[in-house]
Amino acid sequence: MALDITEHSKPPRAVFVPFMMGHHFGVPFHHELQRRIILESLDLIMTAEDSGTIRHAPITWAQARREGNEIERGLGLRR
Amino acid sequence: MTATSNVGQQLRPGLWETINERYPGSMITKRDSVPLAVPQMSLATSRLAFVSSAGVQPKGTLPFDVVHPVGDYSFRRVPSDARTEDLEIHQIKYPTSGANRDLNVIFPIERLQELVTDGVIGALTKDFFSFIGYNMDPERLEQTLAEEIAQAVVDQRADIVLLAPA
Repeated sequence: MALDITEHSKPPRAVFVPFMMGHHFGVPFHHELQRRIILESLDLIMTAEDSGTIRHAPITWAQARREGNEIERGLGLRR
Repeated sequence: MTATSNVGQQLRPGLWETINERYPGSMITKRDSVPLAVPQMSLATSRLAFVSSAGVQPKGTLPFDVVHPVGDYSFRRVPSDARTEDLEIHQIKYPTSGANRDLNVIFPIERLQELVTDGVIGALTKDFFSFIGYNMDPERLEQTLAEEIAQAVVDQRADIVLLAPA
């Protein structure tokens, strides 16, 4: 979700991922990244101390895409 | 709120204002944050529910009405032990290019199943829950769809809930 929409809807806690719509858990076949984003979210569920906390996931969309492309090359899905 | 808007980090900045100007009253806004509910048990002993606005549903179930002008205020149950090949997406309001190749990019059911197998999460609720995010009446959404999903989550004795937009 967009950061500004998250700020308007004021959930008790949220992890913001700066990814393309429809890809909030990362990129295809990047299992480690998908898992990492879930774990980041679960950690915030367990540890948030203030309502309204928004944590920024420490990864960029460009980095996620680069890593995803590399994984797909390794799987023979991309040249 | 601990972070302020940083348009440099949002791929499409100004979405809330842009959409609300075009469709006045369609965007959710709240004065106060929902009070924080502190988990009462560890993650490894918690039952997790997953709620998604991605419009994911088991193949063969009634497709979401993706062309209705004010939206579809129903939800679908997705068995948490489902295989991705038994699921499909009925939603046209977000890019599904990644999800069509690997559903886990928007509905990470396999990763959640693995986290239970690995003992990180205690268990999953019997079902996950999915609806479509295109709903133009936030009050109706809050009073119907959100309440119905919340009740379903309670009925399945979830300890924690992970919500994900699409």
